[in-house]
Amino acid sequence: MIIGGALLVGATVVILGGCLLLILAVVAVRARRHSRTQRDEMLLSPLRRPLITVASGEDDDGAAAEQLTWAAGVSRAVLDRNIVELLTKIRGVPAEQLVHVLEVHGAVDAAVAEMSSRSAVKRARAAQLLGLARAGQTVPLLIDALGDEAVEVRNSAAYALGLIGDPAAAGPVLAAIGAPDRGLPAATAAEALQSMGVGISEVLRDGMADPNARTRMVAAHLSGERSFTRGLPELRGLLDADPDLTVRETSASAIGRLGRREDVGILVRHTVPSEPLELRRACVIALGDLGEAEAIPALAVLLDDSDPRLAELAATALLSMGPGGRDALAGHENDPAVRSARLLASLQKASA
Amino acid sequence: MSWDGFVEGLRSFVLWSMDVTAVPIIVYFILINTSLLVLIVLAYLGFRAQQRRRSTAVTWQGAGLAPGVSLLVPAYNEEAGIVMAVKSFLTLRYPRHEVVVVDDGSSDQTFARLAEAFDLVQVPRELPHEIPIRAKVLGIFVPRDGRTRLVVVRKENSGRSEAINVAINAASEPLVAMIDGDSILEPDGLLHVTRPFADDPTRMVATGGAIRPVNGSRVVSGRIVRVEMPQTWIPRIQLVEYLRAFLLGRTGWSRLGGLILISGAFGLFRRDVVVEVGGLDPNSIGEDFELVMRIHKRLRDEGRDYSIEFVPEPVSWTEVPVTAKVLRNQRRRWHRGLWETLWAYRSMLFRPKYGRIGWLALPYYWLFELFAPLLELFGIIIVPLALALGIVNVPFAILFLVLAYGYAVLVTLAAMVVDEWAFHKHDRWRAVWQTIAASILENIGYRQATVWWRLEGWWSSLRGKKHVWGVMTRTGFDEDPA
Repeated sequence: MIIGGALLVGATVVILGGCLLLILAVVAVRARRHSRTQRDEMLLSPLRRPLITVASGEDDDGAAAEQLTWAAGVSRAVLDRNIVELLTKIRGVPAEQLVHVLEVHGAVDAAVAEMSSRSAVKRARAAQLLGLARAGQTVPLLIDALGDEAVEVRNSAAYALGLIGDPAAAGPVLAAIGAPDRGLPAATAAEALQSMGVGISEVLRDGMADPNARTRMVAAHLSGERSFTRGLPELRGLLDADPDLTVRETSASAIGRLGRREDVGILVRHTVPSEPLELRRACVIALGDLGEAEAIPALAVLLDDSDPRLAELAATALLSMGPGGRDALAGHENDPAVRSARLLASLQKASA
Repeated sequence: MSWDGFVEGLRSFVLWSMDVTAVPIIVYFILINTSLLVLIVLAYLGFRAQQRRRSTAVTWQGAGLAPGVSLLVPAYNEEAGIVMAVKSFLTLRYPRHEVVVVDDGSSDQTFARLAEAFDLVQVPRELPHEIPIRAKVLGIFVPRDGRTRLVVVRKENSGRSEAINVAINAASEPLVAMIDGDSILEPDGLLHVTRPFADDPTRMVATGGAIRPVNGSRVVSGRIVRVEMPQTWIPRIQLVEYLRAFLLGRTGWSRLGGLILISGAFGLFRRDVVVEVGGLDPNSIGEDFELVMRIHKRLRDEGRDYSIEFVPEPVSWTEVPVTAKVLRNQRRRWHRGLWETLWAYRSMLFRPKYGRIGWLALPYYWLFELFAPLLELFGIIIVPLALALGIVNVPFAILFLVLAYGYAVLVTLAAMVVDEWAFHKHDRWRAVWQTIAASILENIGYRQATVWWRLEGWWSSLRGKKHVWGVMTRTGFDEDPA
């Protein structure tokens, strides 16, 4: 097998040249990172003291904030980046002072302009800045950004809308979860919606009828978290008939938090052995959370269930229901489930 | 037969072999390295999106939709580090998690250490039998303080897989994370790896986390305080392997929608799905791989819409073998597990209903993972032999070396650039030079040895030899290694 010199030289040059280039790339990446960090440190150093003074709430006369407004050029850009980072951690007057610095720097207006930038990173950062600056007038712009092609922009827009807290944005945020190919991650949507006050209960009710399972799950979860009792009929419907098991479990937990006496029957209905085990357990926990005495007979029956965890959950629920619940444990004193639940309850009581 | 006759016979055989295989072998090496390069490019695209997300990340502390997690820790003779490990797991930043330790019949003081550190009391609890267990459970214990979310289960020794199955039965949260007792988790690791479940709660069934070697790093109280290079070359080379195959390879597969392997050192699963498929197979050598394949098969057979993702953010750090003996055991086990699982799921190959798993991931694993050592060994033997017998010229032999090993170094360096750009875990310049050196040294002796060990594992399975689990000698990493 004879190989020509040209092929050999060509292959060797390509491979070795490639290796060399990659080594240079590693060096360049490190060097660039290092020089950027150093440059930012140098530019920020004269402004660090007033920045800390403002952020720590010690700028009583506003002199430090005033000093920050004087920053110009590249220093201003670096300072604004740091201010945005600080705004994620601080609240109250210091936050307002820092937002004022951003406004004087024109950063808020620039962010509005950057919402139409070609760079997804710039659009995302702009959206976050608008939220951190609580720029309520930009809500329509941020709602549009919920449909952005880049997920980080959609995330940032939802985050900003959550910070602004305008319930008018709740519908679009919830709807964005199920958008085909451009869906908003459920976790971001849930956090944003949680910050939007009580005005979103109707939106959540509508969300529980959405064709997208993630949307229904977020709506059900938040209805329970925020105790929006108006959503109870929808939650009952989801628990009964939703095609997605996760949605049904979430609905059961939500009913446990905000349900009423009449919900005992619905929850009990789904503790029967023909239901999925995870759902049965979720319903037993929900019955315990609900704390209605009507659940006691059904829970007592479950003490004999073939699933030891379900039996223990039933015993735990009964123990939390006062004398009536504890009486229902009679005759089961030697059951492992009951003994275990009792022991854990006593340990928790002792440590309380 | 005379010596000349033997040489002539050998020459004829090698000549015939070279005629038949020379081009395919070189093409194979080009393909295997190119496929890795493609995976790295895909991983780069994934990391670029990740970088964009990270640079624009909004704070998420797991409030709201973060599902509860049970950390499942099988422990066998882990008296030295188990208490520190459990303490560090309990203090991870996450809104709702519990730790379930299963003492798998340890003959040392593993349980006694836990009992003393956490003041354990026995609970008369009966474990659910959602996953059938053969070994006897000896007792279930919880801390006396009633607050610490720790459950310790003692059982007769029956192996890691069954210990994890017991832990799954004992777990009470909707997600279960399988981790080794000697692993170190990043403080925010759970937040990273559960995020896909929170973002897509109805579809996500499993996520794998990036695993890195911890050897040489400074660890204090179960936390890494300074990332350093390992002090010897065997773990240094493994660091390069982990980077190329585990981090970038799996990120690439995840991006392609064909992730079929989640490492046993850290994997997060929906508990109900793991229960539904029957838990880990205690008879399987590649139990982590087998579990993911079983999940894929079951969910695709049922036509369910689901997702399995890899999270490239560093999640878990693990001690890798430092001696050739332990490494040999590990590689034999890995390759045996690979073969047995691929064989068990051969019916999924090229079946439309298995989509990219059947058409892309599995054929790739057969061709470039399972057969790789066989073909590489053939090349290692035949090319020098042909050179010695004058069948090939020196330029051919060099070309073989360049394409087989030079290209492999290039692929590793590409992985290194991507890692440096995306994660930058090592501060010191010395680490860069050591990693580059390791990527070259990997091809001199190490790679050939692992080829042999992998074939040993495969061969022992074909012969039906019973697998004997070796002991992973831990050097420990608490406090400063210096």
